[in-house]
Amino acid sequence: MSVAGLRALRGAMEGIAASLLCTCDGEGQPNVSMISQVHWVDDDHVALSWQFFNKTRLNLLATGQASVELFDPVSHARHRLQLDHVETRTTGPLFEMMKARLAGIASHHGLEGVFRLLGADVFRVVSIEQLSAPAASMEQSCHPLLSAVRSCIDELVCCRDFDDLADTLLDGVARHLRIGHAILLMAEGDGRLFAIGSRGYAASGVGAEILSGEGVIGVAAREGVPIRIGHLSADYRYGAALGVAAREAGLLADTACGVPFPGLGDPHSQIAVPVLSAGRVLGVLFCESAEIMRFDHEHEDALTILAGYFGALATLLGEDDTRATESPAPPTAAQAGLVTVRHYSRDDSVFLNNDYLIKGVAGAILWRLLRQNAETGRTVFSKRELRLDRSLKLPDHAENLDARLVLLRRRLDERDACLRIGKSGRGQFQLIAACQIALIEMGDDGASPSSSPAAS
Amino acid sequence: MTQQGHATPADDQLKWRDANFAAGRLPVHLVAFVQAGVAPILGVRGMNGRPLVGSGVACRVREMSLVRLFADCARNAMLLEAIEAGSAVAATFSRARDHRSIQLKASSARLREPEAEDLPEIARQCAALADELINLGYTRAQALAYTAFDPDGLAVVEFRPKRIFTQTPGPGAGAELLR
Repeated sequence: MSVAGLRALRGAMEGIAASLLCTCDGEGQPNVSMISQVHWVDDDHVALSWQFFNKTRLNLLATGQASVELFDPVSHARHRLQLDHVETRTTGPLFEMMKARLAGIASHHGLEGVFRLLGADVFRVVSIEQLSAPAASMEQSCHPLLSAVRSCIDELVCCRDFDDLADTLLDGVARHLRIGHAILLMAEGDGRLFAIGSRGYAASGVGAEILSGEGVIGVAAREGVPIRIGHLSADYRYGAALGVAAREAGLLADTACGVPFPGLGDPHSQIAVPVLSAGRVLGVLFCESAEIMRFDHEHEDALTILAGYFGALATLLGEDDTRATESPAPPTAAQAGLVTVRHYSRDDSVFLNNDYLIKGVAGAILWRLLRQNAETGRTVFSKRELRLDRSLKLPDHAENLDARLVLLRRRLDERDACLRIGKSGRGQFQLIAACQIALIEMGDDGASPSSSPAAS
Repeated sequence: MTQQGHATPADDQLKWRDANFAAGRLPVHLVAFVQAGVAPILGVRGMNGRPLVGSGVACRVREMSLVRLFADCARNAMLLEAIEAGSAVAATFSRARDHRSIQLKASSARLREPEAEDLPEIARQCAALADELINLGYTRAQALAYTAFDPDGLAVVEFRPKRIFTQTPGPGAGAELLR
């Protein structure tokens, strides 16, 4: 079998054209059917979706052999694969990738509730046979993705801090990969993800949260693999149900607060690739489109490369806080007015007057800065002291702090708040208050047991 | 792409139960279905004992009982060889727009040459399938490529179905349609 051959057939496994499947029972009686999904696993393996306890299933259990015909919608070539069953996976990354794809396929065909993935049947590819040669000249892409990825990386490697890195990644996805809607999310220690930037939406959605396992983003983060669907699926939509689920799971405060997820109302194609570094999921790069089947294997490769670069650079930059300062000291602002800042300890949510600002670790950081400012008058802080502060429950990785500071700064900037976080040299940052601030620590029940003196 | 709902195995079972047809014959609704431009899938046990899948281009039914499935010789050489050697055959007909699927099985089949009068009917069925694929969102080029055939390179796989199954997705899929 040609190894390059199987990889070259990925286009025929996008699910645009149904594939054909034949198995035989122990007596040699064949059984044929359409198959919803042939999933490229690696150079030697594919996986088929197991959806029903049917004759195909019985035959596979009896003989372990199958034959599949693929039709490539671009080249129009047909190939036949001979397969030997290796194993059935009912959980894990491969299962989740196929489950998401199947949900999209089922939705597209009006078969939601009929198609349900019971398992991912992994097969070793014994042989590949070309049944008909490519009839159409392979269309040369007018926009080669490899070149686009290179342009993105050229820009990423010039970034000097996490803030810049996040913006450059999203700009590159929009400009070079020509993907109109993208969101970058970073992971909290408990598996939640929060958006730290986006492109292509009316509202940035910075601070919006996604739960572990929720939608393509949450599944990509939980499993550490790309999740891609080509058709709108109710199973993977974001929206009101997310809030309900979150509240039921106790992951969101009952108070109506939080930042709305900025996603498209009617997305047909979605892809979420994990941002990995040293085996850890730092976040997720998410893209979507109103077009069906907008993202293929090549897009998945391109975005995975970019997410990997981003993860590695984020880690490196986060570990490099000790370099000499280059940023000028931020301007001081004239103080006017009074803003009451309320902190709810149960989820570290912070409100400016009556408006929700942020929660989680970023909320805890802001509250710590404000309290220290109120007690000592300090305005300049170091990342190192935050990392050493165990009360913040910050995961032991540098880029987590960077991501939270970026999130906090962007939320304050978007709100046009009288509070800002300014750069103050590498490894340092400054709390800038353009108003008088009163701090109120709220109890678990929402009461206000303690008020701190006004700080400035 | 257009979504047009889906059939159910229960639909197939009801149609089958309500049909009036003689022993050894196929019901009219089924004959109409397999000749309507639904891409046939063909399966056999290959010469090496492994399953072997292939695709046909059209189907005609003679005397309401003899299924004549047209297949591209070059694309299906190994299948045809296995049939000639006595393999059992299975053929599934699946309608793209609603996923209605019927599988016919026989313990053996014979290979024939297509007749002159077959070609216009094969062309008609392929054109009908191409139109349906375009309606479902295929590009014209994809639909034409999917349904293309060489009129000089066809074989006829001829068999009398012994067992018939509904393959339509859903509860009851795979059930045999019994008299």
